[in-house]
Amino acid sequence: MKIGIPRALGYYNYYPFWFGFFGSLGLEIVLSDKTTKKLVSDGSALVVSETCLPVKIYMGHVLNLLEKKGVDIIYSPSIQSIDHKIYNCSKLRGLPDLVRNVVKKDFLLIEPTLDKSEKNQGLYQYLYESVAPLGITDKKAIKKASKVGWAYQNNFTGMTRDGMHPIEAMETAIKGKVVIKSRKNNYPINIAVLAHGYNLYDNHVSMNIFKKLENLGVKAHVSESLSTEQMNEGLKVLNTNLYWANELEISGAAGSFMTNKNIDGILTLTAFGCGPDSLMVERITRYAKRLQKPLLNLTVDEHTGEAGFITRIEAFTDMLYRKKRANIVQNLNKQIKIDSDRQEVVYSRDTIVKV
Amino acid sequence: MQAEDNNIKANKERIVAFPQMGNIRIPVAAVLKAMGANLYLSPDNNKEALSLGTRHSTETVCLPYKLNLGNYIQALEGGANVLLMFSAPGTCRLGNYAKMAEAKLKELGYEFEFIVFDMYKGKFVEIVKKFSQATGNKSIPNAIKGIKLGLAKFDALDEIERKLFYLRPREIESGTAEKIYLSGRHSIDRADTVEEVKNAIQSTLDKYNSVKIDNNKEILKVHLMGEFFVLLDPFTNMNIEKELGLLGVEVERTIMLSDWTNQTLVPKWNKKTETHRQRAVRTAKKYLTRAVGGECIETVGDAVYAAECNVDGVVHVGPFNCIPEIVSQCILPNVSKQENIPVISLLMDEQTGKAGMITRIEAFVDLIRRQRKVRKTRIIQRKTMKNSLKTHSRVRIASR
Repeated sequence: MKIGIPRALGYYNYYPFWFGFFGSLGLEIVLSDKTTKKLVSDGSALVVSETCLPVKIYMGHVLNLLEKKGVDIIYSPSIQSIDHKIYNCSKLRGLPDLVRNVVKKDFLLIEPTLDKSEKNQGLYQYLYESVAPLGITDKKAIKKASKVGWAYQNNFTGMTRDGMHPIEAMETAIKGKVVIKSRKNNYPINIAVLAHGYNLYDNHVSMNIFKKLENLGVKAHVSESLSTEQMNEGLKVLNTNLYWANELEISGAAGSFMTNKNIDGILTLTAFGCGPDSLMVERITRYAKRLQKPLLNLTVDEHTGEAGFITRIEAFTDMLYRKKRANIVQNLNKQIKIDSDRQEVVYSRDTIVKV
Repeated sequence: MQAEDNNIKANKERIVAFPQMGNIRIPVAAVLKAMGANLYLSPDNNKEALSLGTRHSTETVCLPYKLNLGNYIQALEGGANVLLMFSAPGTCRLGNYAKMAEAKLKELGYEFEFIVFDMYKGKFVEIVKKFSQATGNKSIPNAIKGIKLGLAKFDALDEIERKLFYLRPREIESGTAEKIYLSGRHSIDRADTVEEVKNAIQSTLDKYNSVKIDNNKEILKVHLMGEFFVLLDPFTNMNIEKELGLLGVEVERTIMLSDWTNQTLVPKWNKKTETHRQRAVRTAKKYLTRAVGGECIETVGDAVYAAECNVDGVVHVGPFNCIPEIVSQCILPNVSKQENIPVISLLMDEQTGKAGMITRIEAFVDLIRRQRKVRKTRIIQRKTMKNSLKTHSRVRIASR
């Protein structure tokens, strides 16, 4: 049996788990193609124009699976809350409902719900709902498969924590390997790039931002390389509590990176019309001012041009270079002054001795 | 003795203000006054508040926040030093707004005490507690008296408003019912006891009876639904009820203030009838199977319910960039198609012009009026067809 998973939204965070889980239950996963311009415009035609870019892209991927890949089972989970009263954004909570109402085709929609604020809607219920429509109801087998899934997911997390690019880590994890490379940081500038995985690692949305930064001699740090504890500490820096299900990867990471001396600047990438991000970015902006970290906020939608995007990144890195250079020069000047002061003291002693 | 004096002094210096939303000022002010608070009553939402709020908030934040912030700034400028705010989890961005507003206002250099009605905890107890904290009131009988008066005013306002919705499209001289409503609202505002509130309702209803109505006019019926704040605040929704009424449309608003207070304050075991939310969950099942926050499920459910009620159309309002309402806006076209009910979605922001909105409403009303005619003629046609068929068959039988 073939099960179609759109290469969007949750894919970028949970795919290794799904791969292990469905694979061990004998289901074949079909992924949609990578995001293209046509796919985005197909998706945007289905929903109202105010909808945020990631959801439009998701709809495009669903269409792609149904039309091009010949799949008639779509897996579209609804992650309601990840902890007691820590909810997701409405669009992600109602994602399967959106798909059902908007995509007018014949297909089987698998729509499991994970809601930790409810009593009976935990992980195993969620996994049960994920495969029950396909006729797999053996709870023991599901538990076993979930363990296999977690093994893949943990490998993936381990590699990203080590600093591997998440897409590369995903590919390695799916092969069942764990690769830990030794890394040397030879970059003059370090920037923290903060965004939700589905914006950052979708090369169509983020316009290959990692490659662009690399070309400018910038090392990009992402929230996936931080541990949950570090991100929780970061939330405290920003003086806030967890409110959104995916707040840690933006606010938490921002707080953590802002107190890190090795990070020269922070770049946030948000989709236009993203509700949670608009609030998180406001808070980050306020604290970046207080902690004196340079910050660039980039907002993208389906009309964003690449040229403007590059210009802003270049200008930002130029400013960081200049700031760094100025700092170095200032420090050198200070050092020289201190040295010369000392020398004067020495001279005066000498003269005293001579007298 | 001295301690008491100090207490009174402290109370005197505390001036309480709360954000505005349509009629909510009347009952809330009543509760606070009964508990002995000094009030700063900020004016109804207006352009100045909106532009103040817009200046000090990020662009993509929704309209209710901008207006709340504007209210706060106006209140602080007017001398208030205790601000009230609601916060609830699992809804939408609303849960963040209390903190955000507080940080922003502190950044602007104001000094004040911020009291958040945190709905994470209990509900009724929390409300009494926080009202007491705000007013410095310590007597529980006073608090209960105040809340009773407030609830009575909630109900009273709804009662006279419902009648206004009925009269507005039917009255011969347009504007008379509105005048009566406004004076009734004023007397409810001034009432100090539950008795006085009842009298105010009665006299207003009596006055309504004198309004001359046109019984032969064809009245369209429309359900108005959507996001809570925009629905209840006439400044934000540009008085859409009035505009629809003047076009000869009877409006039924799916959220009335008292429904909401009853739904949130009355404990679950004491609810006898199906609440609005329960009804929405039931009717929306075909389109939306889970609550996604905000009033999304209510909107979808109400649209289906409207189709069940056989009304002529549905007007859906919400603030621009409201996350739950975007979801419902995506789902509504499907509901409209499957349930065969016309739907118009109007999303408001600070840029929305009244003229454009009225044009859209007029076009919508024209369309539903036409559809009604078509339906009627179809029914008549069907009847005549049936009759002619009957006579036809009779003729045939006779000829045999």
